[in-house]
Amino acid sequence: MGGRGARVTADRVLAVWCPDWPATAVGIDAATPGAVVEGGRLAACTAAARAVGVRRGQRVRDAQRRCPDLVVRERDAGAEGRLFETVAEAVAELVPKVEVVRPGLCAVPARGAARFYGGEEALRVHLQDAVVEAGYDCGAGIADGLFAAELAARRGGGVVVPEGGTAAFLAPLPLWVLDRPELAGLLDRLGVRTLGDFAALPAASVADRFGADGAAAHRLARGEEPRPLAPAAATAERTVRAAFDPPAERAEQVVFTAKRLAGELHAALAAGGTTCVRLAVTIGFADGRVLERLWRHDGTLSSAAVAERVRWQLAAWRPEPGTDDAVWGGVAWVELAPDQLVPDTGRQQALWGQSAVTERVARAADRVQALLGHAGVVRPLLVAGRDPGERVVRVPVGDLPPDGRPDGPWPGGVPGPAPAAVPPEPLPAEVTDAAGARVTVSARCAVSAPPAWIAVGGGPAEEVAAWTGPWPVAERWWDPARARRRARFQVVTAGGRAYLAAVEGGRWRIEAVYD
Amino acid sequence: MAQAVRAFAPDGAGREPVPVLSALRPVVPGGGLRPGSVVGVGGHGAGTLGLALVAGASRHGGADGAGGWCAVVGMPDAGVAAAAGMGAAPQRLLLVDDPGDRWPDVVAALVEAVDLVLLRPPERPGAAAARRLSALARRHGCVLALAAFADAWPGVRLRLRVDESRWEGVGAGHGVLRARRARVSAEGRGGAWLWLPGPSGEVAPAERTRTRLEIVA
Repeated sequence: MGGRGARVTADRVLAVWCPDWPATAVGIDAATPGAVVEGGRLAACTAAARAVGVRRGQRVRDAQRRCPDLVVRERDAGAEGRLFETVAEAVAELVPKVEVVRPGLCAVPARGAARFYGGEEALRVHLQDAVVEAGYDCGAGIADGLFAAELAARRGGGVVVPEGGTAAFLAPLPLWVLDRPELAGLLDRLGVRTLGDFAALPAASVADRFGADGAAAHRLARGEEPRPLAPAAATAERTVRAAFDPPAERAEQVVFTAKRLAGELHAALAAGGTTCVRLAVTIGFADGRVLERLWRHDGTLSSAAVAERVRWQLAAWRPEPGTDDAVWGGVAWVELAPDQLVPDTGRQQALWGQSAVTERVARAADRVQALLGHAGVVRPLLVAGRDPGERVVRVPVGDLPPDGRPDGPWPGGVPGPAPAAVPPEPLPAEVTDAAGARVTVSARCAVSAPPAWIAVGGGPAEEVAAWTGPWPVAERWWDPARARRRARFQVVTAGGRAYLAAVEGGRWRIEAVYD
Repeated sequence: MAQAVRAFAPDGAGREPVPVLSALRPVVPGGGLRPGSVVGVGGHGAGTLGLALVAGASRHGGADGAGGWCAVVGMPDAGVAAAAGMGAAPQRLLLVDDPGDRWPDVVAALVEAVDLVLLRPPERPGAAAARRLSALARRHGCVLALAAFADAWPGVRLRLRVDESRWEGVGAGHGVLRARRARVSAEGRGGAWLWLPGPSGEVAPAERTRTRLEIVA
């Protein structure tokens, strides 16, 4: 990796793409009309189903109307990962350094291998045959860079795009192949319809207008690496490793350790302001055998997702189907190595700074997650927001914080000290004046009468000692479907309690309690 | 070895106290919470008081005083922004919003790892569960702060409560909540007047702050 430096032009990559992999993984044959559903919509369907008008993203009942004998299965992400190990293994027999981009797509560097097998087309056919012999339909394509190689693999069983010809190959393709619907929508309105049109825009303007992700998409469209590689490929010192003594006999133990290692690795990378494009997971067995696999990372995998990939990797190496959780001969060590460091531009992983989760805390969090599920224990992240409830984002321990945090200024925020109790959902309340009539606020922000009584959540009415407001809050006024108009009050009762109350559409609610 | 000795010291003796915010030191006997003890908080303003304990351990706790880890269990409404305003570090907080009926197991896992657990049990705790958790907290030197059912918990040594409080800054239709003067006491002892919280969210002794505010006014 060391010699690649700041080179921008992508290297030759061979991609192996298995069509409709989610359907294959749950055992639906391509000749059978079948579909895989996730959340009530189709995540994938077979070629036979497509032929009668079934499409990805359709509702299940729409698809069944078009194809009454459609075989429908629930999506199984775990099976997709485990089964794809067989494909990756078939490829690795011929070219050792296989990178699994996602279940259904893997890639190998093509340059050296093409020399060995006598040309790129020969290599392509050779690999495709190997996977088909393993029992899976696939396309194989070669081009400059992974993005173009995947598109080459998807074109009619696969093609070889000649070196330097990638930009020309990409130019006529529509923008949706970038898989960035918002960007494609914006560009479409600007009259940009193909990758060629997009590539012709000046890079600096694209970066200014569309940000880091837009710039990455622009580099893809021009047939370059999506992100410039970091000049110093100091990956060796970032490698994390754990040994098992005695060797770990159960997959669970290895997966658990891998999750902790991934957490350490992410913290170290974030501290350096970098992220890795790929992650090499190496597992050493007690009998000396070593299993290495590259996984696409791009800074988007959480610790739990890395652990899941380790589980897939181990699943392919079970001694026999009967022994469910036993690891072949015992695992002696596991190592995670980041591959290709890039500057972390588009994401903010260092939000938690140096406060990485200590080992003791990680262990406790893991026990709680075993009891309550992954989202059972969370870390709070303070962000800007107008509502007290919007100011905290809860991130499950082990996950990366979300990107795209809204940050200030937020007109209409509540001044003064933050409330000590913020119910997840506002509590229903009743606020009445001295005569017992509900207090209302007119469109011009006039209060019908001073609040005299407040009853929270169906409880007894408390006398209001002091109040202030109304503070109007108009949110998303530009979007009729999501627009909200509220008026806020702070109310102090004679008993010394203080509430942040809001009236919206004539209904009162308690947004927070100054407990 | 030192750790082993510490682990066997009865009832937290010989261990550093879990720190509290400096404004709370006059209220808490010994100027800090005894490691492994169970503390009850109550009264109007118990929410803020509980978060103030979290803030103290989070800001000044830990092995070298650089900041400790805290957990909040069974309080989905805990105001993280308020805790941060008092000095808590959100990056060292763990929240378990809805532990359900597994709450004793959840707390048992957490007391091994953090300096302080602020707990609102979702149900009246049974004596056996309370004794087990008290013993675990004692062994690991973790403070268990109870935001509810402190009366049902055997062996609560310290009960903090807000006796009187008054919000300032709001009149009849004008102003904004600025700060609360509160008298906080440990049961059976004298208390102290505090800003809980003060104008910028912090906890401070009330007398001094009040003088300054009067000059400004």
